[in-house]
Amino acid sequence: MGLYTLRRLLVSIPLLLVISAVVFTLLQFTPGDPLDAYIPPDQVLSAQQREILKIDLGLDQSKPVQYFKWLGRAVQGDLGYRIKNGQPVLAELGRRLPPTLLLMGLGMTVGVVLGIFFGIIAAVKRYTLLDNTLTFLAFLGISTPAFLAGLLGMYVFALKLGWFPAGGYQTPGQGGVLDILRHLILPAIILSVTYIAILMRYTRSSVLEVLFQDYVRTASAKGVRSYRVIAKHVLRNALIPVVTVIGANIANLIGGAVFLESIFSWPGTGQLYLDAIDSRDYPMIMGTTLILAIIILLANLITDLLYGLIDPRIRFS
Amino acid sequence: MLKRSLLALTFALCTLGSASADKVITGAFDQGPGGAPGQFNPLTNTAGFTWLNKYYSTLVLYDPAFKKISGDLTSSWTVADGGKKYTFVLRNGVKWHDGEAFTSADVKFSLDLANNPDSGSAFASKFGNITKIQTPSARTVVITLSKPNAALLDALTNFMILPQHALSKIAPKDLRNGAWWRTNPIGTGPFKWNKLVPDQYVELVANPDYFRGKPKIDRLVNRYFKEQAAAVVALKSGDLDFSYLSLDDTKTFSGNAVKIISGPSQVANYLGFNNTSPLLKDVRVRQAILQAIDRDTIVKQLYGGGAEVANCPVTNSKYVPKGINAYAYNQEQARQLLKAAGWDNSRTVEVLTYYSDQLSKDVLVTIQQMLGQVGIKIAPRFVDVPTYNQTTGGNDFTMVYAGIGNGPDPDTLYPSLHSDFIPPNGTNRMKVNISALNKLFEQGQETTSTSARTKAYQEMCSLTNKQLPWDVLWSAKRFGGVSNKLSNFIWTPAPAGGRYDDKAYLWDTK
Repeated sequence: MGLYTLRRLLVSIPLLLVISAVVFTLLQFTPGDPLDAYIPPDQVLSAQQREILKIDLGLDQSKPVQYFKWLGRAVQGDLGYRIKNGQPVLAELGRRLPPTLLLMGLGMTVGVVLGIFFGIIAAVKRYTLLDNTLTFLAFLGISTPAFLAGLLGMYVFALKLGWFPAGGYQTPGQGGVLDILRHLILPAIILSVTYIAILMRYTRSSVLEVLFQDYVRTASAKGVRSYRVIAKHVLRNALIPVVTVIGANIANLIGGAVFLESIFSWPGTGQLYLDAIDSRDYPMIMGTTLILAIIILLANLITDLLYGLIDPRIRFS
Repeated sequence: MLKRSLLALTFALCTLGSASADKVITGAFDQGPGGAPGQFNPLTNTAGFTWLNKYYSTLVLYDPAFKKISGDLTSSWTVADGGKKYTFVLRNGVKWHDGEAFTSADVKFSLDLANNPDSGSAFASKFGNITKIQTPSARTVVITLSKPNAALLDALTNFMILPQHALSKIAPKDLRNGAWWRTNPIGTGPFKWNKLVPDQYVELVANPDYFRGKPKIDRLVNRYFKEQAAAVVALKSGDLDFSYLSLDDTKTFSGNAVKIISGPSQVANYLGFNNTSPLLKDVRVRQAILQAIDRDTIVKQLYGGGAEVANCPVTNSKYVPKGINAYAYNQEQARQLLKAAGWDNSRTVEVLTYYSDQLSKDVLVTIQQMLGQVGIKIAPRFVDVPTYNQTTGGNDFTMVYAGIGNGPDPDTLYPSLHSDFIPPNGTNRMKVNISALNKLFEQGQETTSTSARTKAYQEMCSLTNKQLPWDVLWSAKRFGGVSNKLSNFIWTPAPAGGRYDDKAYLWDTK
């Protein structure tokens, strides 16, 4: 397994290089450059000022030179500065990390726990009214666009019922733990809905597959209580595909949820990324893509390793 | 004895409670087209002046109806030498937020900084004529121009005066994205910078030494919303006291909690033409386009009556002469004009726009329908600002749907219609090149006589109405919503926000 890990890590390096090169190239083909984004359509900038800005932002050099300059600094840990406000890219990401982890962490945890729980119930009580209701709700959850769910949730719970504030990370001037929690609950719950729905479906089908295996029938024939059959024998085997799904979504912990962040004015990395693309903020886009790519590759590796730990049938070659 | 001391204690506790409850107004001041969220450099900003004016001051300001310019940091001024020499007498007793005295040196410093290309200031083009700035006394500034510029005062209404003692140590190049603007800026305005929580909100506190009097409220907060819908919900739920509202938003408000403010946007919407494109070179085609569109119906049905048909780029009615062509809706005549011009019905013209709101989409689809009825096929293409900028900076486009921010002074239109400002030199993206038009703009700027200026701009309006470098359509109203808990609140739409005296020091909460 050690060798396998080493090999995967080594392969990641050229992979990251390719990713960064592809993203950089795609950016060059996008219409508009940072200068065009920097200046609103009706602002007058003299040709001289444009030149100064261009040189300042490093946009006057050829594309390969710009890329290699960026690469050279990136491997040393310097991801450059945001064009929009001159702040270091890493610092900007770092600043957005706590709110993102809070939102995604709570949302995904609730989503995973409830999703697995409902999935098991739906599988055990399959084809009953409960199962059909849960399945229907799951489809609703998966099909509802995040944007709509967010606005609807805000309208009902923040406006009509007044239970939660209408967006924002904190009340200006406050910002204590309880204040942030109050702002966190609504977006986190709406976020969790998608995860509940997805995981419920996966868990249900996975449990159903395992439920009719011989060893399960043997266990209940031996007189093991049904709750223990589920918890010990069924779950451990049924969770294998579920771990894969969770692993595939781990990167979202860092990447954030763009739509919900926009609606709830939640200062997360999703919104940051979108903002960077809107303003053609090359250093920010490249830096964020690199970090996200690293996280995703690592998450995939860890998931695969965990997979091997959970399922002894899997051998690493 | 016990009862008395208990009573005294209760009173003490009550006053303690009321003293600590400070008055706050929270608004989304950078929401909507006039806002510039997260941008705090008044030299390079081209919008967001409503907020900047809360902690910086300008030399002069308009009144909220945009009819008259009065002094803010100046108490009086005189113009001499045929409009080439401006002498400003500065107000006495003004102090910067850190206690230092405001003097003429600050004014000279700020103007010099704007004219320095390293600072990247958008004001350089407006102050380019300044040859000399003298400060004969701490309260007097004399500005000498190479040619008269009757629009100088108008340009100064947006120009924030900056502290020399704080900024002179920073190189202009480093100022552009400098940290000073968002960590500890110093101004002379009614409120002082308190803190910025990036991407969330900015908080200002009252300036007790403000030269017009201490503000009635203690704190002023500007919250940022990425989604307009979120700002609307926050306004309705009471989390916000003020926000910009679109026309559709205003229709969703009922009850008495929020008052809807409306005012002229001073933005003229137009169909612009790449003046170098052979496709639309024949003026009959451009006339036909205008006559094929039923503007009155669009104004009534889509804008709910909240727009005025316009026939030249100037929105200030003072400069619109009587008798210009109204290009009345007449599709039959449009067809005849197109036939005479030999328009090829099979071709499709792409119309570029940076507007993304639903109203603009509805408008463009309607225009597409109407033009289709006379045989002109258009394909609206919605792009974002950088794409729009890059495309219209070059030559690879034919038509656009855009808006031009006016102001009370038509000189604002100079950089959009004068051939000196064709990209990359400026924002005349439609590449309008009419020498008679150039001369009228130059005349308007250099003439000091009010009547001569009015005449020049009226002629400019007639000329553009006849030659149609743009097909101007209408000028719409814009809206804001303010909570009824506020009193003395003044706000009016203005293209980049700000530049009028909203007396923020008098704003109060009930």
